[in-house]
Amino acid sequence: MLSESFVASTLSSAKTPAATLRDVGICLQEFQPSPQLRSTFKKSSTNTNCLAVSPSHIFSAQAEKAVVHVYSREKGNQEALVPFPERIRSIAVAGAKYGDVLVLGTEGGRLILWETCTGRQVATTASHLQPVTSIVVDPTSNFILSGSDDASIHVWSIPNILSFSRPAQGRDRQPQNAPIRTFSNHRAAITSLAVGHSSGRHNIAVSTAKDNTAIAWDYQTGLVLRTYLLPFSATCVSLDPVDRAFYVGYEDGSAQSVDFYRSNSVQHPLHDSSAQSTPAQVSAEDRWLPPAADSGATKALALSYDGSTLLSAHDSGKVLSWNIARRKFAASIADYTHPVTNLVMLPPSGLPHSSHTLNRTIHAIVKPRLDNAFADPSHAPGAIPADYAFQAHIVAPSQPKSRAPSQFSQALTHAFFPDSIIEDGLAELAAFRQPGGSDLIRVAPAAALADTAQATAQDTHVADLEAEVAMLKKKAAANDTARHATADEVAQLRSNLTQLQDYINELHGKQEAAQQDKVQRQAKKEDRDAKRREAWFAAEKKGRNGDAAMKKTEIDDGMLTSESDDQSDE
Amino acid sequence: MAATTLRAVTHRLTTTPVDQLPSIAAFLATSLSDCAELLSAPQAQKPGKGDSDHAAQIHKLKTRLVSLLQDRSVEGRWTAVVLVKAAVEAGQWEMLRGYEPVVRSLIGILAKPDPVSTRKMCIITLTRIFHLTYQYPTLVREITTPHLPGFVTAALNLVSTLVKLPSGSTRKPKPNTPFMEIVLHAILELVPRHPTIFRPFGSQLRSLLAEILGSSQVYYSEQVFDVAEQLFASLYKCAPKDKSGPAWTDDCKSTILSAHRAADHVFRAVAEQWESVNPTLVPAKQNYSNELADTNPDALGLPGWAGIHFGTDRLITLLRLLSNFISMPSAVTIAIPLGSILDLTSRLTSVTVPPNGEASQNGVQFNPQISRDERELLWAELPRIHIACMDLLAHVACVLENSTTAISQSILEQVTWVFKNEKFRRDVRSASYSLLTSLLTLNGPAMTKQSVASIANVLRVCCHDLLPQIEESGVAGKFQSESKSKSKGGQGTANADSFLNPELRKNQPLKAGPQFPQLQQAASGLLQSALASISPNLLVPSVRAEIDRTIILTADKNAMLASVLNPIPAAKGRGAGASIMPFLVRSYSDQMDVEALVRPRMPVLMTSAELEAYTEMEEEEEADEMADEPFTAAPPRSSFLNETAAAYAEAKNREHSPVSVAPLHKRTYFEETTTESHISSASEQQPVQVKKARFEENIQQAPAATTHVSTPRSTKVEGSMVPQQVQVAPQVSTNSAPSHSAAGTPLPVDDSDDELPTLNIDSDTDDEDDEDDDVAMEG
Repeated sequence: MLSESFVASTLSSAKTPAATLRDVGICLQEFQPSPQLRSTFKKSSTNTNCLAVSPSHIFSAQAEKAVVHVYSREKGNQEALVPFPERIRSIAVAGAKYGDVLVLGTEGGRLILWETCTGRQVATTASHLQPVTSIVVDPTSNFILSGSDDASIHVWSIPNILSFSRPAQGRDRQPQNAPIRTFSNHRAAITSLAVGHSSGRHNIAVSTAKDNTAIAWDYQTGLVLRTYLLPFSATCVSLDPVDRAFYVGYEDGSAQSVDFYRSNSVQHPLHDSSAQSTPAQVSAEDRWLPPAADSGATKALALSYDGSTLLSAHDSGKVLSWNIARRKFAASIADYTHPVTNLVMLPPSGLPHSSHTLNRTIHAIVKPRLDNAFADPSHAPGAIPADYAFQAHIVAPSQPKSRAPSQFSQALTHAFFPDSIIEDGLAELAAFRQPGGSDLIRVAPAAALADTAQATAQDTHVADLEAEVAMLKKKAAANDTARHATADEVAQLRSNLTQLQDYINELHGKQEAAQQDKVQRQAKKEDRDAKRREAWFAAEKKGRNGDAAMKKTEIDDGMLTSESDDQSDE
Repeated sequence: MAATTLRAVTHRLTTTPVDQLPSIAAFLATSLSDCAELLSAPQAQKPGKGDSDHAAQIHKLKTRLVSLLQDRSVEGRWTAVVLVKAAVEAGQWEMLRGYEPVVRSLIGILAKPDPVSTRKMCIITLTRIFHLTYQYPTLVREITTPHLPGFVTAALNLVSTLVKLPSGSTRKPKPNTPFMEIVLHAILELVPRHPTIFRPFGSQLRSLLAEILGSSQVYYSEQVFDVAEQLFASLYKCAPKDKSGPAWTDDCKSTILSAHRAADHVFRAVAEQWESVNPTLVPAKQNYSNELADTNPDALGLPGWAGIHFGTDRLITLLRLLSNFISMPSAVTIAIPLGSILDLTSRLTSVTVPPNGEASQNGVQFNPQISRDERELLWAELPRIHIACMDLLAHVACVLENSTTAISQSILEQVTWVFKNEKFRRDVRSASYSLLTSLLTLNGPAMTKQSVASIANVLRVCCHDLLPQIEESGVAGKFQSESKSKSKGGQGTANADSFLNPELRKNQPLKAGPQFPQLQQAASGLLQSALASISPNLLVPSVRAEIDRTIILTADKNAMLASVLNPIPAAKGRGAGASIMPFLVRSYSDQMDVEALVRPRMPVLMTSAELEAYTEMEEEEEADEMADEPFTAAPPRSSFLNETAAAYAEAKNREHSPVSVAPLHKRTYFEETTTESHISSASEQQPVQVKKARFEENIQQAPAATTHVSTPRSTKVEGSMVPQQVQVAPQVSTNSAPSHSAAGTPLPVDDSDDELPTLNIDSDTDDEDDEDDDVAMEG
């Protein structure tokens, strides 16, 4: 359930409170939805600005004693009592949402930073001339603003103070652990400080002092943004969650809101340089008066989470609430009899907001180590001592790079199984169902033993079948090669056949040619014979010796005949 | 509806043939998770008719699922596993109560030769069941205590073989098992919840993981390695309850010692200058003539290794183990040994690759007894070690957040040193960017000039990584040198569009190489945090100009926003610093954050005048035609106010809009006693309204009142913003109303707001009425 609470601490006085509040010094009170006391912590007496609350612990610097009480919020008891060399006049927690570092302002004008998870303690120079009465830490947890009775406000850099090794100092050599900036526009003791809610470079601070002024200024540059002349000296100040206005409380128990946005100027009113030098007057009649005159001075102010209600703590022991929209007193929330000196609003519980969730918790703080164990090792200046250890309980994993969620973690938080796994499974089942595969696997018997036996039997069967298949394949291959061989042979023979046929044709051609030749020769021979005979007959007719003429022609023809004979022999 | 769905599911389950079930399994599971309300409703609290029917259906479903789990077919068992998971998720405690048989059958399936997916889903389902029982002691007694050891044994048997030794049993991983990752995940999930049950398995798990993490022969996937490291870092939780804190410290310490020992061997090629802050640490003696190796198991029980590559692998494994030790949720309060961790990383980062491989350029001295080959192998392996170191430091920064402050300067020095010498490696750059990003967001605002100067070079290289690579490198080089010389010439804050030369880019084809999204992401993150966190005064103008140019070219919206929000401060003697706002608006004018930046809705505070305007606006809407006659509009308005003002005042009072009536009121009296300003008249109306509102509260309970009684809600934040936006409308309309002749004359004489006639001007009679009312009420 959504609820909002605050922590209030009191300064013990001569008055005797009701039995339930005896000895009680710190109260954890629920504010919304119904105001009621949730828990109490005993034996504490604090001055203003001496209460600090971290997610796990409550620290209260005791009035008139150089002691800080540490209460565990988890266990609800007093966990430790830490003595310091000087009285502590103001405390605050640094370290952003974890609140790991406690900043203490001492009577002597120094700051002490105590890392509650390691026990390391670092003191600064005594830059304030008077006790440090108010401390605030900026939202980035990089700067500390400390106000003192000496009218000055110092700005300190936390990394500068805490760092083991320091960057090489340049020309502007400053003493170590000294403030980086000093704001000295106030002329009397600083009473209260508030810091804006921006993490950027243009964050503001509002300080009030006993010279009846409130100044809004830029702590990153020291520039005065606006001076407000208050009707009285403010005892405490609080800033709107959106930095639109600030609220101050006065000695007479009244409260007042001072609005930054009065004009409709387009420029941010605080950064309007024409108005920066002119102080703004704040009227006394605008105050929100307390319901009764005996409520006592306003000691502390706090704003609800939504910024609509202002809570004020009073000397009379009352905690009053004021309606900011109506600008007047709304209700009395609680009465603790003793003067209430501090009010710290807690972040509302029940908001599921990632920026409030903590990755680690601290169960027990580590007291400051008094021995000089965390001094620099002599041989390596700037090195971190070997026994510097950070004590914490890690409750949630913290990864610099977010890992892609593994398939397992996705499946684990899924309503059944992610689609990818279901699809893989279906694919695998389909593979099981393949012919061949399904016969073997589907008959899954109940008993594992029988199953394996059958499986082995079937395995051997499969092996046999496979061997057979291999053999058959081999045979088929052999047949195939044989067939190929015969086919080749046939082709060869066919080609031979065609060759032979060609030869035959050629021979036939030749034979024919020879025949023709022969016929021609025969014809020639007959021709010749006929000629010879004609010649013989002619000779015979002429009366010459026919034989001689015939011989003559025979000789003529002899050459021809021999020639033709030769030809025919070929 | 749920009842019908449930009946349909059970019907389908019983009637569908088993071998067709898998195809409808996903559908049935979805339907089952839709019945979550019914399944998780306590059985005892279901009076009335029809409930016995529900109980019967649920019983039917449960019995059918158990029988399916023992079905003879693979399909049946597969479907059963899917549906059991769905039913358990939907029904939670009610489903698990008295459902122990299902756990037994699921464990039985693990031993069967079922498909891999069945067994994987089985492991997930069982993990989920044991996960759920954790919160309920009755279920732990009934289900977890008897069955978890059986499950762990079965799961471990899937991935490893048990070796019984006289000193105790150990486990050897099976090679190539598909279950390794999922089994380790399941155990990792269960160890923190049931550490006592895992105690007997502690040594077996440790030996198994040591084999996996230390293996150089068998290949395991990155995922397996990752989960094995996480599991190894969780094993200390198995220690007896009061000893788990010391067990963590021991494990962490031996990891650091093992890393130092591995480094002794791996770094033997150089003579280290580093000196430990821990005087008890002595370097291991070694024989330089042997090959680089460590044959003995180390303090964590990881087996020995040989060769520089496996030595580096071991060192990286140990560093990653250390990261897991500090970042995993712990069982108790642990003491993170920051001193030792920083000591280790400072040792590992002090040795860097020397430029040109020559000695003494960056302080590295060679060991003359080691050959040049081994030394050069070391140079090749060094960047991997440094990446693991930076990863470890990033984990430290992530865990400590703002408490890193004390050590952030040391970390910064280590990163910049490594970056300076090894920026040629892309992974080194990527890791440095991420680590620097986290450091800057934590401690950037308070950074000193020296620290900023030390990372200026990193930012330059970062810009180069982000810029699109142009094919012809010569042009790009000229381009850059040009920008540098220009900025040196005193024009550092010159508008970045002078660097944009569209002609040049059009002609150059972008280099088509592999893309490195991780590197780009890390680089963009670094630029963004540098712009947002580092003081703009400290950044050298040339670096700032280069960053601006890069983010314009890459159209990086967040970085551009950061640049606009942190402008270059106007230096003396120079004009105001140029802002890259035009580029942002040109690229992203439709985005809400850009709109908020460029046209802020100011002022953010709700004043009395605005409250007035708010109610007026309502009136305008309701009585539109009456706006023409303001005089006659008065009576209906007052009656209207009775309704709306009550609601609004109520809402305002309960909500948080801080209305600054009082100071405004008084102040105007101070300054404008003589001039009759409309401001005073307007502010006088305010108390009347409030009073009316309260009056109304008593008479009629405004319906809105009851809704706002409860605690603050987040929606109210927006609630207060709404009026500012709409405020303008009624002003305009009333001013332009024709009969409003008096509107012009009483314009503000106030110094500040003469440009804006902010307040609506009502007729004098109206004011008088109000004043009368006021008097009457007070009187």
